[in-house]
Amino acid sequence: MAFRHLMAVARKELAHILRDGWTLSLVLFTPLLVLILMAYALSADIQHVPIAVLDRDRSPASRTFVAQITAGDDLELYATVEDLGAVEDLFTRGEIKGALIIAPTFAADVASLKGMPIQIIIDGTEPETGGFAVEQIGRRAAEFANAAIVNQLAGAAGESLQTIDLRVRAWYNPSLEPRVDLIPGLISLVLAFPALSAALTLAREREHGTLEQLLATPIGRGDLLLGKIVPYIIVGLINVILITAVARVWFRVPFNGNFALYFGLSALFMFAALSMGVLVGMFMRTQAAALALSFLLLFFPAFFLTGIFFPIVAMPEIARLEAMGLPGTHYAIITRGVFLPGVGIEVLWPYAVMLIFLGVVFTALAALFFRKKIG
Amino acid sequence: MNLRRILSLAWKDTLHLRHDWWLPAFMLLGGAMELLLIGWATSRPVTNLPLMVLDGDQSRASRTFVSAVMNTGTFVLEDYVRDEVAIREALARGTIYAAVIIPPGYAEQIIRGESTIAVLLNGAESIPATEALRAIEGVSSELGLAIMLERMGLDPQDVEGFLPSLRVWFNESLSEAYYTTPAELGLMMEFTVLLFAALSFSRERELGTLEQLLVMPYSRLELIVGKSIPVIAIGFIDFLLMLGVVHFFFDVPIRGSLFLLLILALGYILVELGKGMVISVVSRTQHQAFLLVLLVGMVDFMFTGYAAPVESMPAILQYLANIVPAQHWLEIVRGIMLKASDLRVLWPQIVALIVLGLFIGTFSFRYVRRALY
Repeated sequence: MAFRHLMAVARKELAHILRDGWTLSLVLFTPLLVLILMAYALSADIQHVPIAVLDRDRSPASRTFVAQITAGDDLELYATVEDLGAVEDLFTRGEIKGALIIAPTFAADVASLKGMPIQIIIDGTEPETGGFAVEQIGRRAAEFANAAIVNQLAGAAGESLQTIDLRVRAWYNPSLEPRVDLIPGLISLVLAFPALSAALTLAREREHGTLEQLLATPIGRGDLLLGKIVPYIIVGLINVILITAVARVWFRVPFNGNFALYFGLSALFMFAALSMGVLVGMFMRTQAAALALSFLLLFFPAFFLTGIFFPIVAMPEIARLEAMGLPGTHYAIITRGVFLPGVGIEVLWPYAVMLIFLGVVFTALAALFFRKKIG
Repeated sequence: MNLRRILSLAWKDTLHLRHDWWLPAFMLLGGAMELLLIGWATSRPVTNLPLMVLDGDQSRASRTFVSAVMNTGTFVLEDYVRDEVAIREALARGTIYAAVIIPPGYAEQIIRGESTIAVLLNGAESIPATEALRAIEGVSSELGLAIMLERMGLDPQDVEGFLPSLRVWFNESLSEAYYTTPAELGLMMEFTVLLFAALSFSRERELGTLEQLLVMPYSRLELIVGKSIPVIAIGFIDFLLMLGVVHFFFDVPIRGSLFLLLILALGYILVELGKGMVISVVSRTQHQAFLLVLLVGMVDFMFTGYAAPVESMPAILQYLANIVPAQHWLEIVRGIMLKASDLRVLWPQIVALIVLGLFIGTFSFRYVRRALY
């Protein structure tokens, strides 16, 4: 290992990135653009969910009920239909996400406290909006029923059916707004992009036949590998600054931790993610193959398995193990920890250690395979 | 147009693939395997969320509440704690997603009908936190109702009729695989086609062999068609394999016409091919092509409704979503597989795909032809 050699390779690699503005701007701005897009698309509140109503009662009570259900912004009365066939048709066309069926005995049953004969139907292929519709309809139906019961039972006047009062407090994100925690989570995803670029660099040398030239120089294998990584660490760290600024200023995500600590841990993550990228790219002779492999091993798992959208604790054992081997998993925990609770190294050190460990293992493996396959 | 010349070019590209056998192998088998893993990992309800309990009452009533919460299956009990400091610390560390605090005197309060239970959630992960809240709210309203009825001297069965009955169409068993895997299938196919198409010319250009191709007696049209054939073939085989995984491993039914699905898959591949070809000629290197694919693919992903429903996006984005082919494509995949939709229902999506395809295709063909010099 010679520092001079390492820097020489890094300078050459940096020149590849800087040589034309197109590549440079893509490398620099792809993560930022993707983050902004995803943040906008993901953080919208669910509203205007279209539902259909089939009112078989047509009484004043049922009409009041329907009006109460569709009073808010969240549910939208898309159609009032005459029969179940029409409901089915609207569902198949995907025009409604939920339907409310009111039985002919609605007014009579509610008045005699026999019950509330309604049925909710949802589209099981889109459970998010469907579940939301059920929740909203159910909540308002309960209010309606509550009022009806209280009205009838004179002795219990003024009481509510809800005896347990839940006082809910969500820490760090009081309104449980997805944007606040998804943006820090997504940072770990978009910062994995430089790792994908790194996967290409060794394959590029092989594809162009310039790897042999590099090997003929006195540059050691470790220097070569690390030299390939360093420029992308720099690119990644510039991205960290840009992205944190956008998250903070544009999206108003609170940043409660220490930025210097975050920057340092980000460097560790870049090291781990990039050595994983180089390791993946090592086995491929062409950039196309390196790309295909890194998509499968770096990109898709980073998306689904790092716990950004789906909690890791709820995954099956094997998926959890794979998640532990992904630098993004640990980094996602770090970003969320630094952004929201603002915790310091005393809490985050296990994840930092894991990142270093993964980085060292990946680099060592890369150096080992490098000797076997190429050297 | 000369068929033999086109085929010779397609054959040359196929040879490239064979030479680099990892590429097709990984794209085909790897895609299916990855789909298996991801589908398996994400197609289940949220469970196992660590929960902390601070039971200040230690009565039968409070224990009933805690065990009802545990019975939802959403949680695992992390610990019983004695004070809020432990909860605060665990929330900061992110080791728990929720905490339930039952105040002293809960058992008496509940008889008077004014009990309070505090729920603390880890807002740093809002998706599981929301899930946790939903479960606890369900328990509290059920228990609350039971207690209230008891107090009013009513039989719980009397008011059972007040709970709305729920039916879920197209996915009666509420299997999460039903809605995650068809979307994942559609998206992975899109990425495969885009990536292969994008590399087709950028690779030749980067390696300097594009000029050789251009001086050969190929017409521009022949070049484009010849380059497209392997991409279409790979995309389609990939789709078949992944469809097999979704159908046989995840038991997702194909309720509509398989034939229609395959035809439309082929059509969709052509649309994405057009986009990939444009990327392939604007890029000077494979690296650039790849980054552009990533950008375009992620934009498409956002508008497919996989991660967030399109209806809830800002109005401008909803209009934009209409010009994203992937959105119509996912609608088609879901419709045919789960809702047994046929042409009568799917025609708007199909027309949209055809219009977009013609538009993208014409533009891409003219653009690519001009750019190939």
